[in-house]
Amino acid sequence: MKALVTIGAFLSIIPFVPWGEFLSSSVTTAGKYTRQKVVLDANPKANGNAAGRTVNVNDLVNFPPNSHWLITYPSSGDLTVDAQNPDTFVKFDLIRLPVELGGGNKDATAFVAFSKVCVHLWCSPSYNPEQCSNPNENGYQSGPGCTKHEQYECPCHGSIYRIPDGLSIAGPASLQPPPTNAIPMLTLSSDKDGTLYIEPPIWDVDHNGVIGYGRNYLSYKDYIVPAATGGVT
Amino acid sequence: MAQPTKQEKERRNLVSKLYHWFVDGLERTVFMGVQYTFPKRFVSPLGYLGVLTGITFLVLGITGGLLMIYYQPTLSGCGSITCAFASIQRINDQVPYGWLLRNIHYTASNAMVLLAVLHMYYQYFSGRFKIKNEVLWVTGIILGIITGVEAYSGYDLIFNQRAGLAIEIGSSLANASPLIGNTLRLATFGAGFTDFILRLYSAHVFILPMIMLILVFIHFPRYLVFDLPIVSTVVGGIFIVASIFPVQLSIPYSPSNPTLTIPEWYLTGIYALLRTEYDKFVMGGLMPALLFLMALVVPFIDTSKKLSWKERPFFTALGITSIAQILVTTAWGFYINPDTSLPTLARLLVPPELYFGSMILITVLSFALTYAFMRYLKSRERVRKAAAPLGPILTRRWVLVIFVLLIAAQVALNGLAFMAVQQGLRNMSLFDVGAILISFGVLVHLYRYSQSLPF
Repeated sequence: MKALVTIGAFLSIIPFVPWGEFLSSSVTTAGKYTRQKVVLDANPKANGNAAGRTVNVNDLVNFPPNSHWLITYPSSGDLTVDAQNPDTFVKFDLIRLPVELGGGNKDATAFVAFSKVCVHLWCSPSYNPEQCSNPNENGYQSGPGCTKHEQYECPCHGSIYRIPDGLSIAGPASLQPPPTNAIPMLTLSSDKDGTLYIEPPIWDVDHNGVIGYGRNYLSYKDYIVPAATGGVT
Repeated sequence: MAQPTKQEKERRNLVSKLYHWFVDGLERTVFMGVQYTFPKRFVSPLGYLGVLTGITFLVLGITGGLLMIYYQPTLSGCGSITCAFASIQRINDQVPYGWLLRNIHYTASNAMVLLAVLHMYYQYFSGRFKIKNEVLWVTGIILGIITGVEAYSGYDLIFNQRAGLAIEIGSSLANASPLIGNTLRLATFGAGFTDFILRLYSAHVFILPMIMLILVFIHFPRYLVFDLPIVSTVVGGIFIVASIFPVQLSIPYSPSNPTLTIPEWYLTGIYALLRTEYDKFVMGGLMPALLFLMALVVPFIDTSKKLSWKERPFFTALGITSIAQILVTTAWGFYINPDTSLPTLARLLVPPELYFGSMILITVLSFALTYAFMRYLKSRERVRKAAAPLGPILTRRWVLVIFVLLIAAQVALNGLAFMAVQQGLRNMSLFDVGAILISFGVLVHLYRYSQSLPF
């Protein structure tokens, strides 16, 4: 009898439902993950003259290849609030790739959007558009600004992520085991007018990654291809 | 408690009736299950360091509750800096006496960690833990760990550079645990800084203190020593330290502008281990866990009837070794390569061969030396002189004189504190208040002493 009561007690307090997800939810309180137009942060310090503009893939004047801007996703709907939000977990670096990597394309494949949270120690990496005159044999070097290709680099401990796939190739982040060695990124698409959109992300390691944790690099053949016109993942 | 006679009951006035009505009403509550001792003469505070830790917890509860009124556990909405940092800036600079509460809260938190560690080591070396059972010891260790987590979560809430470092390291440690890393990090740190600060806030002000209270009910002995002079001196000491070393605000945490910072002193040990740049989980998770594991199993291994540290050479040597290890690893935690031309990562590296070399050396040395010293002590079996009982040091007249002087000093200190407040000399006023508390402690002790003197 006692055993039955014990079983009953267990059944009544622990139904077979993953209640633990309440705590470990990857949904941030910052906003809703809907399909959103890419609007640059209204922050002249980070985005210069393009601050507050809606990104158009056909506009090579305001959005030239080999440059980068700060964006907020999910947006709160208010540009001023977004621009001042100090939470780097909703910040992404929108990069228009260099021409040799397809930055001249007039579709979403010209862009990538990397998380601003380094998977090593949560510092904020940034895109470095400069090239190095004497790269090492791999084409990369961990010194700041020294690379054959343009790279995404962290100011704190020098982690370096490869453009355009976001795999860490130097610094402490590259020493971490997968999936904690690739930077999470957003899926992008563009419509027929050329407006750039962010597709609703799936925050797990096999899709867009988990911000502040990593992305399963091996599950992608090469890198996340930013979805083409009106596309989905 | 002896039942009052009828005569005694009749003699009670209204105030005394009210008091007895209230105390009798408490008869079957938890509070009456505990005996409170207000010692008649000086007793060494080492035996009740635990109660002192509890009183520091009380100080923290009061100051913390008041700080909650102005603190904002949010990030966005306060311009370019976080609301958390901005609200603490306001507490520090604008809210009247906010700086006072914050300073006391900070210093008391350090004092609590220190007192808890001292309490544990005193119980360990004196063998007093054997008088009680293992459950008390184990809950004590868990309470110690939660105290550490509570302190950690507290200074993260400030969201300055030092908090940023702690957040980064804590989250990356959680991320680095095998299999459950991602889930553990999301559960404890949330999916972003906005979530994180709310989670830590709820943990710091409610969840962890509640767990501590429940554990304290298990951990508390049946009687509590409340030695007013010592309690007053400890609280006064906290005030004085808070006035001499006021807590700094530092600069706001900004993930894109890295600076080299060092965590609080009770976490530098783990910081040193992590900076040897071996596997994060092994260094930051398993190595500290070893120490706690050792502490947990002690009462199950050390089951001899012997209490004194002199008769337990192995465990004394073990305890001394653990202290030596903690000191060495803490000292390494403060090390940053002074060569500024090196990149940050290279400056942060704690050279593993030197670090582990010094750790192994200190382990062998301290264990061997302590053990040898204990053997030496045993071989010498010194005959101790029976300490001659001391006669009264002060006469009643002198006690009265000192009494008057102390009260005069308190009046003067009160005046000084008032003047300091008027002139904006914050730390000076806090210092004075601390001195007043200590002189009050001396006063009560003298009173107690005078009771034992012949007329």
